[in-house]
Amino acid sequence: MKDCYLGVDIGSISTKGVIIDDDNNIIAKEYIWTEGNPVNAVRKLIKILKDNLPQNHQIKGIGTTGSARKLIGLMLKANIVKNEITAHAVGTLTYYPNVRTILEIGGQDSKIILIKNGIITNYAMNTLCAAGTGSFLSSQAKRLGLKPEEFGKYALKSKNPVKIAARCTVFAESDLVHKAQVGYPKEDIIAGLCKSVVLNYLNNVGKGKKIEAPIIFQGGVSKNEGVVKYFKEVLNEDIIVDENSHLMGAIGIAVLARKNKIGKTYSLKLEDITFDTKATECNRCANNCELLKIYRNNELVDSWGSKCGKF
Amino acid sequence: MDKIGIPRSIFYYYYGDIWKSFFDYLKIPYIISPNTNKEIMNIGLKYGGDEMCLALKTYIGHCAYLKDKCNYLLIPRIDNYGLENQTCTNFLSTYDIVNNIFDTKILNYNINLDNKETLKKGLIKIGTELGKPKHEINKAYKYAINKYKEKRKREITINTNKLNSKKIKILLVSHPYNTYDDLIGKEIIKYLEKENIEVIFSDKFDEKITNKLSEKLSKELYFKYSKENIGSIVYSKDKIDGIIFLSAFPCGPDSLVNELVMRKINTPYINLVLDDTSSFTGTETRLESFIDMLKGGLND
Repeated sequence: MKDCYLGVDIGSISTKGVIIDDDNNIIAKEYIWTEGNPVNAVRKLIKILKDNLPQNHQIKGIGTTGSARKLIGLMLKANIVKNEITAHAVGTLTYYPNVRTILEIGGQDSKIILIKNGIITNYAMNTLCAAGTGSFLSSQAKRLGLKPEEFGKYALKSKNPVKIAARCTVFAESDLVHKAQVGYPKEDIIAGLCKSVVLNYLNNVGKGKKIEAPIIFQGGVSKNEGVVKYFKEVLNEDIIVDENSHLMGAIGIAVLARKNKIGKTYSLKLEDITFDTKATECNRCANNCELLKIYRNNELVDSWGSKCGKF
Repeated sequence: MDKIGIPRSIFYYYYGDIWKSFFDYLKIPYIISPNTNKEIMNIGLKYGGDEMCLALKTYIGHCAYLKDKCNYLLIPRIDNYGLENQTCTNFLSTYDIVNNIFDTKILNYNINLDNKETLKKGLIKIGTELGKPKHEINKAYKYAINKYKEKRKREITINTNKLNSKKIKILLVSHPYNTYDDLIGKEIIKYLEKENIEVIFSDKFDEKITNKLSEKLSKELYFKYSKENIGSIVYSKDKIDGIIFLSAFPCGPDSLVNELVMRKINTPYINLVLDDTSSFTGTETRLESFIDMLKGGLND
C-alpha cells in the first residue's frame, strides 16, 4: 500500500481537492464550483477524487483550508485545519523554493505574500471590501453574457483597454455600463476591467510593498489571461502562473496534513455519513448570538458562534 | 437626587475614570451603561446614520439604553486640544447628534483648548449646574485628576514593560473605544492572548512622548489621537514583532493616517477594518495567518 494525503480547499466560489504522495506528486485533483453549499460540494469532490485514486493507495492524512475549513474539517475528521494564507505559502514553496512574491486573487479574498529565503516576511489581505476579486469578475462576465473562463481570452483581443474606475466595484460597474452604452467594443471593456483588477489589487492590497521577482500569481483569477497580461505590463516583470495555480491552497494543506499525520488511515466513503447543521438564535443574554450546531451522523460534534463560550 | 447616565463608549474610554471619581467625591449618583452587547449595537444601528462609524453607532445605542434610566446623559463636545491637535468630527458632533435623536436632557461641556475651554472649566460648569459649591467642585476635580494620573501611570508602566516580554509581541494600533469594546476589539484581544501573544496597546504610552515621536513618520498627522497611535509605533518598533491596525468602518482619520503609515514602515502588519458583520470568520483567518507568519510556523 502507498501512503497519500488529501488536501481540500473550500473557497467561496470554488472547491478544490488534491491527493499527493510522499514525494509531492499529484495522484488526483479536482476543481468544482461551491455553489453556496460547501457540504454538498465536498461530497461531490470526494466522490470524484475517490474514483480517480488508484487501487493500492491509502489516505493517511486529511487537511482542510479555505473559508469553510472548520465545517469541512469536522465533516472529514481532518487532522489539520489551517487558514488559506498559510496553505498557499506552503504549497507554493513546495514547488518554487526560490519564490519572492505570491500574488493571489480568489473568489472573495485577495492577498499578497512576500517571501525571503523561504521565510514569509510580510503579507497583506484585502479588508472588508471584496472589490476586484473573482466574484466581481464572474458577476460582470455574466452581465456581459460570457462564461468566466472566456473572459481572459476576450481581454487579449483588445488593443485599447478602456479606463475603468478601479477603487470600488460599485463605481466600476456604473463605469462599465456607461462605457457599453456609449458603444465601446466588448473586448476593450473586458480588457479595461482586467486592468482595473490589477490596479485595484496593487493599490488596495499591495500598498506600495516592494514586489520582487520571481513572482507567482495564483488563485482562481490567475486563470484569467487578461489579468496576467496586465500584471506583467504594470509590474514590468515576468509572472509565473503554474498549471496548478488554482490548486496551490489544496496542495499546501495536503503537505501540512502529511507533516502532521497521526498514523490514522482515513476512508473516503461519505455516502453513509449524514452531516447536518442547525442554526438557532440564543436568547439567554442580550447578545443574541447566532449559534450553529454541527451534527455528524445525528451526533452533536461541535457548536459555534457563542460569545460566552458556554454553548 | 438627579442621576447621571454615562454611555460606555467613545468618551468613556478617555474620561470615564475622571468622571467616576469626580461624581463619587461630590456624591452625585450615576449609572454607566453595560458593556456593548448585540442589543445595544442593534439600537445604535437603527438610530445611526449610514455614514457614521461603527463606534458612533454603538455610542448612540448606549444613549438609547440609558435615556430612561437617568435624568441626564453626560456628553461632552470636544473640538480640539489646540490647533495642532484636532479630534475627529464625531467628538465634536456627538452631543448635537444625540440631542437631535433623543428627547432627553444632556449635561454638556466643551473642550476647545484653542478657545481656552479646558476639562477643568468643563467639570466646574457641570458641578455648578448640579448645584454643588465651588470649593467642593475644585476639590473633586483635584481628587479625580490625581487618581486618574496615578492609574494612568501604572497602566503605562505595565504596557511599556510588556515590550521586554519573551513572547511574540504585537502592537495593537487602535483607538481605545474600539480596542476595549466588547463587540469590536475584545474578541481580537482574547484570540491573541489565547495564542500566547503579548498584546501591547497603542493608547497606553505617555501621550506627550508618542505625540512628538509621530513626527518621525509624518509631520502632518493633524489628529491628536492618530498622532499618539502612530507615535507608539515609532516608540516600540524595534521591540515588537508585528502590528495590527484595527479600525471601525468607515473611520475617516484612520483611513487617512493608517494608510499613509502602512506605506512607511518595515514591521509586518495587518489591517483589520470591522463593521457590524456578525461573523468573526474573516477576522480569524487574518489573525491566524498573521500569527502563523510571526511564529515562523510555516517554515519548519
